[in-house]
Amino acid sequence: MRYELEVQGRRRQVQVRRTNGRFAVDVDGRTWSVDAVRVDAHTLSLLMTDGAGPESTPPGGRSQEIVVAANPGLATLTARVEGVAVEVNPKTRVRQGRGGEGSHSGPQRLTAPMPGKVVRVLVNPGDTVVARQPVVVIEAMKMENELRAQRDGRVIEVAVRDGQSVEASALLAVIADSGSP
Amino acid sequence: MSVRKVLIANRGEIAVRIIRACREMDVSTVAVYSECDRAALHVRFADEAYAIGPSPPRESYLRIDRIIEAARKSGADAVHPGYGFLAENEDFAAAVRDAGLTFIGPTPEAVALMGSKTEARLAALRAGVPVVPGTETALDPDVPDEEIARIAQGIGYPVLVKAVAGGGGKGMRTVTDPADLLNAVRAARSEAGSAFGDAAVYFERRVVRPRHVEVQLLGDHHGTVIPFVERECSIQRRHQKVVEETPSLAVTPEIRRAMTSAAASVARAVGYTNAGTIEFLLDESGHFYFLEMNTRLQVEHPVTEMVTGIDLVRWQIRIAQGERLDIDPALAGTPRGHALECRIYAEDPDNNFLPSPGRIQQLRAPSGPGIRDDSGATAGLDVPIFYDPMISKLVAWAEDRPSAVARMRRALAEYVVSGIKTTLPFFTWLLQQPAFASGQFHTTYLDEVLKSRNGRPFVEPTPETEAVAAVAAALQIALARTSGGGSVGTTGADGALANQPSGHWKARARAEALR
Repeated sequence: MRYELEVQGRRRQVQVRRTNGRFAVDVDGRTWSVDAVRVDAHTLSLLMTDGAGPESTPPGGRSQEIVVAANPGLATLTARVEGVAVEVNPKTRVRQGRGGEGSHSGPQRLTAPMPGKVVRVLVNPGDTVVARQPVVVIEAMKMENELRAQRDGRVIEVAVRDGQSVEASALLAVIADSGSP
Repeated sequence: MSVRKVLIANRGEIAVRIIRACREMDVSTVAVYSECDRAALHVRFADEAYAIGPSPPRESYLRIDRIIEAARKSGADAVHPGYGFLAENEDFAAAVRDAGLTFIGPTPEAVALMGSKTEARLAALRAGVPVVPGTETALDPDVPDEEIARIAQGIGYPVLVKAVAGGGGKGMRTVTDPADLLNAVRAARSEAGSAFGDAAVYFERRVVRPRHVEVQLLGDHHGTVIPFVERECSIQRRHQKVVEETPSLAVTPEIRRAMTSAAASVARAVGYTNAGTIEFLLDESGHFYFLEMNTRLQVEHPVTEMVTGIDLVRWQIRIAQGERLDIDPALAGTPRGHALECRIYAEDPDNNFLPSPGRIQQLRAPSGPGIRDDSGATAGLDVPIFYDPMISKLVAWAEDRPSAVARMRRALAEYVVSGIKTTLPFFTWLLQQPAFASGQFHTTYLDEVLKSRNGRPFVEPTPETEAVAAVAAALQIALARTSGGGSVGTTGADGALANQPSGHWKARARAEALR
């Protein structure tokens, strides 16, 4: 079984094969022998060894407990590996012998993560912004929160104004990536 | 006046904490809740629970009338306010008393007196406790220049020139060199005049790189006041404490003796009863100054409980029912080992600590030796947008500070919260900082270092963790598909599958179907 996954925004080709009660999992050419147990719907216990591994030995290897959570409203997962959250976007299953299609991320759509009030809009359409630059300040949960650009780019739309109340997921601004038309 | 049934006028972890103390004392508990808190842990833990209104605090947890009504309806004989909400509201303390109920806290008079910054400052001065030196009133506009210089000299440099009507840094100047004083006074007056329509300014000593150190105390109704070993709370973000510990590395036994006896003097001077905390600024040369008094149980009270073994909430209830405070003062004042607390928030530390409300999908709190997790969160609960987004206080105790820090790091790694973002990665990072390890920090340390990091992520996945995530995600999809959405051979949350040949066999059979 082949999968194409986007891990932290990078595309990975993953192949899963069953071998003698374990799995041989190949990620971009590197292979692990994995003993996998689903503890519950969100929790996996993996014992991993490098390479396809000798098939006859009892299972064992590096222990990884992974908690997988679906991100609400998105098709992505967050996999918690050793306390670190890793974002995974599972593409559709890819059939044997067919490559994946290129993905285009498109402009950043900055949205409100929670209901609140726009305190200040810090950019105007046409402004150039750099990654992590504050774009809009929203007051919610008794705090002022700066919402920042994820990547370098140019503001092509500002959808809110100072003082406006916004619902969760309301569009605040659209930022075209640097270099894109 | 024995307390038999306590209404807890609060929510979240502190309501749960108080319910636990009541249970251990065979005291019945009454919870109150707003609309969004119907399924909250404090409601589930309490013996009884009553709705008090819609989710916004102003319409529920701040409604004195509805809380008193719930107390009447349930037959409660006492009310514990927790912290926040109505905990330091003298009208609430008075309303509880007027309803013939016992308020588990200080008198309304003490709440009012110590709630006023100027009154509290005067009370400290009367008790002979140092406050940050300054002019008690505004400088006269006609005071000659030589007199201004003399006053500033008397306070000591660096001097802060502050607008009486001030706020937000306007009309404020720091003067380090006496030669700059008169210009700074002129500038501050003109700025204050145009900003606030009031040009009056006063002087205050600027305490350089201060620490925030505080003294917990208990007072009974028979005149006994007992201070506890200090808490160090200098790790703050935007003036909010994020890590607290006890004892403080900056406090010598001599400073401790002076500080605890100063705190007790202030409390005695105002006839203080029940639990309270006196906050001090501690400067680099070991001088401390009274800052303010908190007339309630504090968020960070567990660290004190860990090093003294004294249950502060239990004592609050015992004091409220008139018992004598018969704690050995040496037990309260001498730390046994070291304890620290991390306030775990539903915030995204990698996105400028933006609140991250939402549903908690998975939650597993750490445990084991020396670990205490005071939490009001469970899997399946939403972190509401209406209240402070703190979900847990994680506390570690060990025989010394390095071991306590190591234990906290171990516990942070065990903590699983999914579905929302939390500040766990931030604490993992903070506890590795050399300044934290050596204890060389002050109240602005964290804001300075956060500013210099400019939003860089605290914990980033390595190529190895990304690859493991890819393996896990692919297997999760594969296993979910083969089991029709359920889990493969899952026998429950105990993970016993691995020991069950039949479960393994089924997993294999299903995995086979993958091909």
